[in-house]
Amino acid sequence: MDTKITKTVSELRPAGANAPAPASAFATALPFLALLVIGIAFPLFGGGYWGVIATRACVYWVLVSGLNLVVGFAGQIAIGWVALLTLGAYTTSVLAAGNVLPALPPYLALAIAALVGAIFGLIVGLPALRLRTFYFAITTLGFATIVTQVALAWQSVTGGGVGVPGPIFPEPFSSQWGFYYFCFGLAAICTWMTANIAASRFGRALTAIRDAEVAAEASGIAKPALLGTVFLFSGAVAAVAGGLFASLQSYITPDAFTLDLSVLFFIAILIGGRSSILGPLLGTILLTVLPEFAAPLVAWSTFLYAVLLLVIVLAIPGGIAEMLDFKNRRPLESDRAIVPRPELVARLLDTAPDAGTLTLDQVALSFGGVRAIDGLDMEIRPGQVHGLIGPNGSGKTTTLNVISGYYAPQHGAVRLNGAALPALTRHQRAHMRIARTFQTPRIVGSASVLENVMIGGTIYGRATFVESLLSLPRHRRDEAMLRKTAMLALESVGLERLAAVRADRLQHAELRFIEIARGLMLRPSFLLLDEPAAGLSAEEIARLSTLLLAIARAGTGVLLVEHHPDLIFDICHHITVLNLGKTLAAGTPAEIRSHREVVNAYLGG
Amino acid sequence: MVTSIILSGTAMGCIYALIAVTYNVMFSASRVFSFTAGTLGMIGGVLGSLFIARMGLPVFVGFLLALAGGALLGIVTEIVAVRPVLKSLDQHLYVLSTLALALMIQQFTAIEWSTEPQPFPRLFDIARVEFDQQYWLPMLACAGVIVGLELLYRHTLIGHAFLAIAEDNYAARALGLPERQLRMTSFALAGVIGSLAGFAGGEMLLAFFANAPMLTFYGFVPVALGGMGNNRGAVVAGLLLGLFQQTANFLVGGIFASVAVFTVFIIVLLARPEGLVGSALQRRV
Amino acid sequence: MSLTRRQVLSSGAAAIASTIAKPAIAAKEPILVGYLPALTGPSSSTGVGINRGIQLAVQEINAAGGIDGRQIELITRDTQSDPTKAVNGAAELTRGQKVSVVFGPVNSGESLAVVPLLARTNTPQIHPCWVDTLTDPKKYPMCFRNAPTNQQIGGAANRYVVEVLKHKKVAVISDTTGYGTASVNAYVPMLKARGADVVYQGNVDAANPDLKPELLRMQSAGAEAIMPWSVNAGFLSRIINTRGQMNWDVPIVGQTTLGSGQTKALLEKPDYWAKVYPNNFRPVCYSTDGKLTDRTSAFLDRLKSAKIEMGDTLLWWIALGYDSPRMIAEAMKNVGSDAEQVVSYLNNLKEFPGVYGDMSFTPDRHDGYPDEEVVMVEANSLNNGAFKLAPGYSA
Repeated sequence: MDTKITKTVSELRPAGANAPAPASAFATALPFLALLVIGIAFPLFGGGYWGVIATRACVYWVLVSGLNLVVGFAGQIAIGWVALLTLGAYTTSVLAAGNVLPALPPYLALAIAALVGAIFGLIVGLPALRLRTFYFAITTLGFATIVTQVALAWQSVTGGGVGVPGPIFPEPFSSQWGFYYFCFGLAAICTWMTANIAASRFGRALTAIRDAEVAAEASGIAKPALLGTVFLFSGAVAAVAGGLFASLQSYITPDAFTLDLSVLFFIAILIGGRSSILGPLLGTILLTVLPEFAAPLVAWSTFLYAVLLLVIVLAIPGGIAEMLDFKNRRPLESDRAIVPRPELVARLLDTAPDAGTLTLDQVALSFGGVRAIDGLDMEIRPGQVHGLIGPNGSGKTTTLNVISGYYAPQHGAVRLNGAALPALTRHQRAHMRIARTFQTPRIVGSASVLENVMIGGTIYGRATFVESLLSLPRHRRDEAMLRKTAMLALESVGLERLAAVRADRLQHAELRFIEIARGLMLRPSFLLLDEPAAGLSAEEIARLSTLLLAIARAGTGVLLVEHHPDLIFDICHHITVLNLGKTLAAGTPAEIRSHREVVNAYLGG
Repeated sequence: MVTSIILSGTAMGCIYALIAVTYNVMFSASRVFSFTAGTLGMIGGVLGSLFIARMGLPVFVGFLLALAGGALLGIVTEIVAVRPVLKSLDQHLYVLSTLALALMIQQFTAIEWSTEPQPFPRLFDIARVEFDQQYWLPMLACAGVIVGLELLYRHTLIGHAFLAIAEDNYAARALGLPERQLRMTSFALAGVIGSLAGFAGGEMLLAFFANAPMLTFYGFVPVALGGMGNNRGAVVAGLLLGLFQQTANFLVGGIFASVAVFTVFIIVLLARPEGLVGSALQRRV
Repeated sequence: MSLTRRQVLSSGAAAIASTIAKPAIAAKEPILVGYLPALTGPSSSTGVGINRGIQLAVQEINAAGGIDGRQIELITRDTQSDPTKAVNGAAELTRGQKVSVVFGPVNSGESLAVVPLLARTNTPQIHPCWVDTLTDPKKYPMCFRNAPTNQQIGGAANRYVVEVLKHKKVAVISDTTGYGTASVNAYVPMLKARGADVVYQGNVDAANPDLKPELLRMQSAGAEAIMPWSVNAGFLSRIINTRGQMNWDVPIVGQTTLGSGQTKALLEKPDYWAKVYPNNFRPVCYSTDGKLTDRTSAFLDRLKSAKIEMGDTLLWWIALGYDSPRMIAEAMKNVGSDAEQVVSYLNNLKEFPGVYGDMSFTPDRHDGYPDEEVVMVEANSLNNGAFKLAPGYSA
């Protein structure tokens, strides 16, 4: 008996009213504001020497802020990013010094370096799309070595071992404190820009790629385009950091760009925590400043960084960000109930144009010698719940995977309104308004429930990456729209009270409903569900039934792969029974229930 | 010149192949790649120089101690950097933990041993000839390890157990194989092989902490090209790598040689990410 | 290790000195001298040697009453052979500690970054680095060099190879540091101008363990002499060892570090040190009749009584280190510690009597070492810290 009764219609509050209050936005901004104030006031209490250290920390953060999107958010192990710092430093210095072309003004040299950095960021980063994690890490290390070797060898341009003088920026940035403010300003801008991305659909998409790649694809997120954009940005800011670095050093030689520096950048992000801006920022400051406190620490600094990394990985994988995440330490209510509000579903799934029928037309798929699906015909109509049942290994999930584009059938085709769906284009399915859930919930554990659901609506964002970077109006409209829709989806499935909670704190049943909410964000014409009732209590299954029926009533075609016969017979309009990849029987629940072969092979009794 | 290229290329290739085998043995036991493989090679050279040259121990004693040191480091890798993260959901933490451990060992060696390459003792007191011991020692070590592993895997019970764990972890455990002990033993074995590589190659590489990142990279290239877990492919690829690198070194000099090696590596890898021999992995949804 | 070492010596001597009538404030304050040696890292052999001389000289000066009653306080920042750390150190010395003068860095690669920085803070600087561009009286009016330039060094070495040993086909090799690269870039044209044929020219990573490919390339190009330019003892010893292993009988003529005790210790066989001719400086070498100058003998005695180790380094480094604070002290005794005054004093310095050479500067020439004192010596003639002149080497 649940004590949290659903509200009557008249008590319905407007959707989105439960969205996390703006007050928490101030709490999030407070540490950044504090750092801003300290940074601006720094010359008043820091001496000349600490000014150099502070400038260095700002320069490093400019690079790390961009790398953070690659390593922290996208989860790519790019250890050798110092290659971009080297490139940016040399490009700026060489252009400003006039070795090759007539000397350019330093700002222009810096801008060109940013462009060069963007291109090379893409070159260094793209292997990530083809290679496994460890392989990619090794190739970035190789790149770092190569860039240094080229700098040594290309004497006519880079001066070889002798090096080149760094650029000097004109008044008012030529004095020590002037230059400090220049670097600090750029660091602040980078913080703001990457924070904007973190709170945009791009940031969420990156974490989705990292932690739940299949779910990201199903939500329409195209990994190559997104990663490519992030590598471009990250390369550009790393190169800008390089130019600033060269100016700070006043003279650069190849041996200034050590692997130790690359390790520093990488570890700063991991100590700071993934999917965080504040964490890596504090991590960068910590790692830059730490060796300066005691002279012996300077020689042991890389050793200490490695120890910190090991401790973090073993003990607090979430890093500083996890340590500062106070709101997720508050205990959750222990007997929570999931109470969907099916009446909201209709409001969520506004009139989707009738996409027609989803048909499987003689689909056959073999894995090696095994015929997983052997000539399957099936029809899923909008507004109806179609059940797909059968023993283990009969090909149910495989069928679902074929529909959602993971496998290409050797024969036959999947058709939407008669037109065959292109195979193996799984991230296109979202654009066709085909959504799905997974046998094991694929959730971004470190993100909040609300953010997880918002991932489902990624393709409906209109703002470009640059617009999000600069927090332009279209980006803010996107965010507001996605937030509102996600809250509505959460309210429909009954989990709105947990919107701000980190997803990995939730129970298994709640994760299943979150997946459904995420799927609903797409306003799908078809919703494919892979054993959504697995692990649910009888009460929860009953609520799931009402929810699914409401979804069907709103016009969506639902394909329900399931093992629970009660659920199937309760809500399905049509049922297909699979056995060994072939249709054993197909028809209405009444027909199936009495079908002799089905009873023998599967239902028993 | 040509003889020099062939001799040093084959010798270096054998060292790279041994490091690749180190990677593979660790991979077979745990399905993870460890950044400590190259560090083990470095330690073999440093320990050899420490025990024999600096402390004056007899060559054979120094040899055994160096291998023991490698085994110890292998076990430490398993306990500290691999076992804790195998349980976690995040599949890629092992990259970070083994990287951290490898860095710690490298930096410690740099500070306590030396930041400069130190001489490695001549193991057998015979005159220098063209086909010198600095070349045939790594070749001997490589051949010995390959033969030894073959015998181990095919003819001993523990070798069969290693293969079982590598092939199908769950089934092996269901059969009652002590997975944890076997994994630790595998890592100890990998440690011995890595240390042997550095010891046998000590005269060529010297006792130098920066050998670690170098061997980490060059020792991984045969793994990538030969296919993960495939020792035969690794040896072939390692020899090819050594010969290619030394040819470039002799013809155009060190800087261009490393650029050449890396460029070829990246191109081959992008064309065939699973390696020249390996098979592409299916993804489970 | 990077340590801020404050050498605060007993104030007894200072008390005596303060009885001389001087403004009370000026008499008590120590003179802050910044010092940027590379005491650790791959290019530390020079720094370690120089350091011994400097410490001895500062002790002696302070014990004798300091500079007009003011003690010298030497503030050290180990650059670890790393230009980045050198920059950090220079910034701290000038902006944080506000030193009156800086001595160092001792390696060219580090000085390339530090010289412009010190010029911006108007700090007088004296350094012993060889790369030619590191002094420029117009661009860096406060920067002085109390060591020879690459031109002087290369001139002597090249002359020896081409005209004394009469070898025309030369291999020039260096490491990839700033010093090494600049040396090769400077010496190759100088050799060609003398009519030599540079058959091999290369910069090799000093940590590269295997130099055989490089020497084989030199050999197949027909080189008759090898000229290495590096301060890295390991690198130089590997060149010497490889030549020996190859049984290749060619002379090695080059950087002074070829003769250092550190290099000697890394040789596989002592006889490999034959036919190695580093350059050095006449005042600290045995003359043709086998004798040292009085000044040098006295200095050697002083080192022995102070128990300063010589066997693993070079005498001239220690001597240079010894001469430098004495030159600074001389300037400040005469004109005080004001930067402009010190610079104008140095600009007119004539033959300041140093152990390893007499220094002279003019407003247009900030390179203080006299040309004619750069000589070539025979490495394996090392005896009691000093060398004999190389064979065939006339005065």
